[in-house]
Amino acid sequence: MSESAENHEEVILSPEEISSGVEELAHQIAGRCADDKVAFVGIYTRGVTLARRVAEALKEQGLHFPVGTLDISLYRDDFDNRGPDLPTLETSDIPFALDDLRVILFDEVIYTGRTIRAALDGLMDYGRPARIELAVLVDRGHREIPIQPDYVARRIGTTRDQYVKVRFREDDRGKEGVFLESPGNAPAA
Amino acid sequence: MSELKPRKDLLDIEGLELPEIEYVLSNAVPFKQLFQRSVKKVPTLRGKTVLNLFYEPSTRTSSSFEVAANRMSADVTNFTVSSSSVVKGESLLDTIETLQAMRSDYIVIRHQAAGVPNIVAKHTGASVINAGDGYHAHPTQALLDAMTFREVYPDCAGRRMVIVGDVLHSRVARSTSTLFHKLGIEVGVLGPGTLIPEGRHDFIRRFRSWDEVFDWKPGAVYLLRVQLERQEGMFFPSIAEYHKMYGLNTGRLARMRQIGAYLMHPGPVNRGVEITDEAMRYERSLIGTQVENGIAVRMAVLHWLKPETDRD
Amino acid sequence: MSATIPRLFQNGRIASAEVRDLRQADVLVDERGEIVAIGSSLAAPDGTEVVDCSDCVLVPGMFDVHVHAREPGQEHKETLSTCAAAALRGGVTGVVLMPDTAPPIDTGNLVKSAMDLVAELSPIPMLQSGCLTKGREGREMAGFSGMASRGAPMLTDADRPVPCPDLLRRCMEYARDFDLLVTSHCDTPPLTKAGSINEGRVSYRFGLPGIPAISQEIAIDRDIRVARHTGVKLHLQQISTAQGLRSVRAAKEDGTLVTCEVSPHHLVLSEQDIRDYNTHFKFNPPLRPAADLAALVAGFIDGSIDLLACDHAPHTEFEKSCEFGNAPFGAAGLETSVLVIFDRFIRKGVFGWDLLIERYSVAPRRLVGLTPVAISEGAKAEFFVFDPEAQTPLTRETMKTKSPVSPFLGETLAGRVRGTVLGATWYAQEPYIALA
Repeated sequence: MSESAENHEEVILSPEEISSGVEELAHQIAGRCADDKVAFVGIYTRGVTLARRVAEALKEQGLHFPVGTLDISLYRDDFDNRGPDLPTLETSDIPFALDDLRVILFDEVIYTGRTIRAALDGLMDYGRPARIELAVLVDRGHREIPIQPDYVARRIGTTRDQYVKVRFREDDRGKEGVFLESPGNAPAA
Repeated sequence: MSELKPRKDLLDIEGLELPEIEYVLSNAVPFKQLFQRSVKKVPTLRGKTVLNLFYEPSTRTSSSFEVAANRMSADVTNFTVSSSSVVKGESLLDTIETLQAMRSDYIVIRHQAAGVPNIVAKHTGASVINAGDGYHAHPTQALLDAMTFREVYPDCAGRRMVIVGDVLHSRVARSTSTLFHKLGIEVGVLGPGTLIPEGRHDFIRRFRSWDEVFDWKPGAVYLLRVQLERQEGMFFPSIAEYHKMYGLNTGRLARMRQIGAYLMHPGPVNRGVEITDEAMRYERSLIGTQVENGIAVRMAVLHWLKPETDRD
Repeated sequence: MSATIPRLFQNGRIASAEVRDLRQADVLVDERGEIVAIGSSLAAPDGTEVVDCSDCVLVPGMFDVHVHAREPGQEHKETLSTCAAAALRGGVTGVVLMPDTAPPIDTGNLVKSAMDLVAELSPIPMLQSGCLTKGREGREMAGFSGMASRGAPMLTDADRPVPCPDLLRRCMEYARDFDLLVTSHCDTPPLTKAGSINEGRVSYRFGLPGIPAISQEIAIDRDIRVARHTGVKLHLQQISTAQGLRSVRAAKEDGTLVTCEVSPHHLVLSEQDIRDYNTHFKFNPPLRPAADLAALVAGFIDGSIDLLACDHAPHTEFEKSCEFGNAPFGAAGLETSVLVIFDRFIRKGVFGWDLLIERYSVAPRRLVGLTPVAISEGAKAEFFVFDPEAQTPLTRETMKTKSPVSPFLGETLAGRVRGTVLGATWYAQEPYIALA
């Protein structure tokens, strides 16, 4: 990870704000999907965590949506540019038939939209959902393809050289928060 | 993510680091899971070309690589060279020139001469995958064997496997025993003294009879194919005697059942030689699983290797 | 090459077979190529070229009894003149040519025509050996008397053992009366088969068919027995195993007239050095395990091994660029022998120049009935100037042989042959600078 001295890191969402973001997404989804056959599919790794948290929040409202997982490594369009970090593949686990379901894809951040493009390709190889929607915790802008989220907890303005890092305690050894990392010009300590 | 040095070629097992082996074996699992989907294909290698170059006939291995490449959306060219048309020696450099011109991203090569994949790999930027060279190596077979063994024994370290047959002339025995040793699996061998290379590997136990094998209680029995064409009366007196001494017959099958040992074979089998019809129906046979895992492992290998095609 | 003028080799250190210590002295060679004076601070007469030999060693010219010069018939691999250039580059001033040319040298006339070619093309003396059997086919005895009268110093089927022990016996009985030396390449083809590397762990790892040690050892035993029975003088080529050497030692103790040679590569390289199917390391006999190497070095030092011979066997890079199993056996050796022995042994103090001179200059000449050369007053000048402080980067560009195929290719060896004196001619070798 790039926690080098030159990089400046700023907290955008605290753990409490993430929780309210999750509640916000649950609220939006409940308002629009309560009467449908809905399934969640989280994109590895943190999209899965986000989907599980939102599903948990909806249980309290009596809505029980199953959660599947999707590894999109095999669908990425940057395979040739993989660096020394080789992708370890995860087993996609979609334990329900997608056909005629309303599927909500989860990812923690939407940026260029390319990850979602790959996820759509991957998802459709598992079946033919009635409808696919997208839920994200953070939309940081800068789309490169025409894909937009349907459910968003927080929109933030960023520049292209910044990096939005989401940490969930389940995935990041207990650390929680959303951070904006900016290169260079670190402020004086 | 795992920090592994990018690797261009897969030539043998000896040169592999344990994390690389773990990486390929663990990636093979999600690949195998794709086979449960109605769409078994992923677009990972779209636009890439895989050249299947076979100097020795092998429908099984060549098809397995072809299916693996197809399922990753690569374009596959099959090129089978009958050995009769190959002029000794001179042809290799010319072949490499031709391969260069084809600009393949991956070259899967099987050759009757040991070391040919190494030579091709040195002269091309394409990723070279050794699909069997002489008596030397058959690394993807070893990887699929390990995957198969680990599916039935997830805690494989300390388990035992015995290889039965012509170990001397077997690239499968070389690669698989080396890989199993790296994974902490104990390896034994059984076969006629003429076909067991004495003292070539410190880690291999040598058995002289099936009784000794069963006393050792291996978790799997790995039968090798008896190369009938190689048998010129030099290595054992007759096929019948081989079958009697080393074949998997009804009595031996019963003992395997007793100790719960699984059965493996790289195929194709010689029924009535190393194995009986009855043994082919053994409920703990992993022979079919080996074939299926072969595709998954080869997909994982194609996914792992990194061609240096800009080098050409 | 340079004009025949007197030369003063100034301030060098003279090596000899007799003493390990080097003797600091100037050596004056006159325009006839005779060493006329050896001493300190010699004056150079008018018109004398002075060669500064400070820090250099003057070493008597080496003699290699196992050289395949490939001419006539396989000039694409090597010619007499490229072979001679390689020899001079390596400090070798005389060789015995193997008879496995095309056609094979199996008659007196062919020996004569080969010697005529040598006279025409080679600046260094080369003796032509003859075949034991016609066409090297192992079926009928070749014409010994004719070959003997034309000066063939030894008979050998070069790389092929005589398959039938009875024919070998008759050849030896017949050769004995002409006082001809019989030279054996020790190998048992039904055991060697298609082997291409020592049979053992390494061959197993490479998946290559192996050549078992017994293949050479049985042949050594057989040839020694037949030689002892017939009373012929026998020379065994390219000893490669400890057991083979024990057989030779025992035969010598028994009074059998047997000598044997070892190659520099069998002294310094083991099967473990074979990497990545590099065919430059493919030899027959093959490179053996390290334990054999140690025994060979001991035998080289104690004299059980009589002499060094490189088995100069060039094949083109193209011929060697193929499947290991299909590649021909052998590599070029003439220009690396002295360097390799210096680099691995003399420089490290394992033994001195005296031993190398004994094994590679004196003993080989004695074997074929020549008078050994030495750097002494009144003798013909036949020595080379060796700079132990310099280095020789061995690349395909720097090698003089026509086929730069060598297991040492790519290495930089310690020491450098600055030039070789043969009579009144000074063959200076250009310095090679290692590319940074």
